[in-house]
Amino acid sequence: MSVRSALEISTITDTGVVRSFNEDTIATEPDLGLALVADGMGGYKAGDVASGMAASIMMMELKRQLRETSPTASRIAEMLEFSVGRANRAIHQAAQASPQHHGMGTTLVAVVFHDNRLHFAHIGDSRLYRLRQGKLQVLTQDHSILHEQVALGLISNDDAKISHNRNLVTRALGVEAQSECEVQALAVEVGDIYLLCSDGLNDMVDDVNIELALNSLQANLPLTVKQLVMMANDNGGHDNVSAILIKVHESFPAIEQSPGLFGRLFGWLK
Amino acid sequence: MAKLVLSLDGEVLGYHFLEKASFGIGRKPENEMQIDDSSVSKEHAVILTVGNDQILEDLGSTNGTLVNGVKIKKHILQNNDVIDIGRYQLRYINQKAKPGVDSDRTIMMMPVMSQRHREEKSESPAQTATLPDTAVSVARVANDIFPLGGIKGLQGPLAGQTLELSRPLATFGKAGVQVAVINRRPHGYSITRVEGKKPPLVNGLAIGEEAQLLQDEDQIEVGGEILRFFLKQTA
Repeated sequence: MSVRSALEISTITDTGVVRSFNEDTIATEPDLGLALVADGMGGYKAGDVASGMAASIMMMELKRQLRETSPTASRIAEMLEFSVGRANRAIHQAAQASPQHHGMGTTLVAVVFHDNRLHFAHIGDSRLYRLRQGKLQVLTQDHSILHEQVALGLISNDDAKISHNRNLVTRALGVEAQSECEVQALAVEVGDIYLLCSDGLNDMVDDVNIELALNSLQANLPLTVKQLVMMANDNGGHDNVSAILIKVHESFPAIEQSPGLFGRLFGWLK
Repeated sequence: MAKLVLSLDGEVLGYHFLEKASFGIGRKPENEMQIDDSSVSKEHAVILTVGNDQILEDLGSTNGTLVNGVKIKKHILQNNDVIDIGRYQLRYINQKAKPGVDSDRTIMMMPVMSQRHREEKSESPAQTATLPDTAVSVARVANDIFPLGGIKGLQGPLAGQTLELSRPLATFGKAGVQVAVINRRPHGYSITRVEGKKPPLVNGLAIGEEAQLLQDEDQIEVGGEILRFFLKQTA
């Protein structure tokens, strides 16, 4: 089954209740199993420029490279790293070139579904969650001061609710000449639901209620994604809110163009 | 910049700015704030500055450290917190440290690890750590204004039962056949169709594609269930 027909994708991005414009950017390419969320930051409308650049460069690079025949898993990791590096450099250069864009940057969470696997990269505090067997789990570790405080045992999870460090990320695309990026890969199971989101969702809605929405409403994915934003806005909507839901309906093994490892093994055995 | 106002028995003795990343309070002179009194331990407490947070930590003092009357081990200071150290009181003043969400936009800063010089009993970060899985504290209050509602089952699997609808959403009906969701929102409850070829009924009328507000005593038919919606009377 092709990745396009195996996956159901629903997306939403919303300005929220408090802010006057939306600096989040989302993008998907169902044919290639691609999706990303970028949450821009920096002066007047510069955040919007940064997240927009990240999204268009990432999509362009990944599309170009993924159209190569049957990339291997390690090749996809390289593609993600390469694309993130390109986006970082471009945003950084643009920021240096014009004073009003100085210091702009963006978070990023990007996924590639290929050959029954999910490859993902993230920078900053945009997150990737997975719902499997009814349990919601966050697959990314925020690059944020708040997360470090908890990880170091400086404050408890419970204290995190009253921390003033929610807006401090420790990594972002475009802020420095070089960017660090973690790429991970996991096996996908039929029935999994993946959620990419900006912090406007998880800062306003408890994980337990995100889990409740995904579990109760997943028969209607477009409604689920709308209800996530509704909950965030009902709780105050302090930030832009973006969410992409991806439900795995079927498995999607890559079609071998040339004999793969197994093909060759069988070839030798014949 | 944040400051601490020191007082004893209601009389202000002075104030200190929290200028250093690690600000010690105790009887010994090495402390950034020395309080030479027998009710105060030698190294009584410390305030660590991490990003925008100032975290008060009791260092195992004999008489303990209280914030707003509650004994604490660790506490993220909030504007106007009152700290008890022995017989003394410290008021924490920081206009930026208000509860809730920062109005400031996201900014980037160096990771804590590279900033910090203090020895840390690090419990290996990353891999094993669980993320703070909660929304900000203000995100919880919005829904508590409108009176609580619920449903009473009249027919079907919930017949004879009464359920309070305290969570943001609850679904009813039969999966794969006909399902509706009831949302608890700041201005009331609403019902929306989730799945099924035929729409659920409210007071005998099919609901449309959009969410529909629920009124007290509304009767809902969905997936073979009949439910009565009710709003609790506010005292």
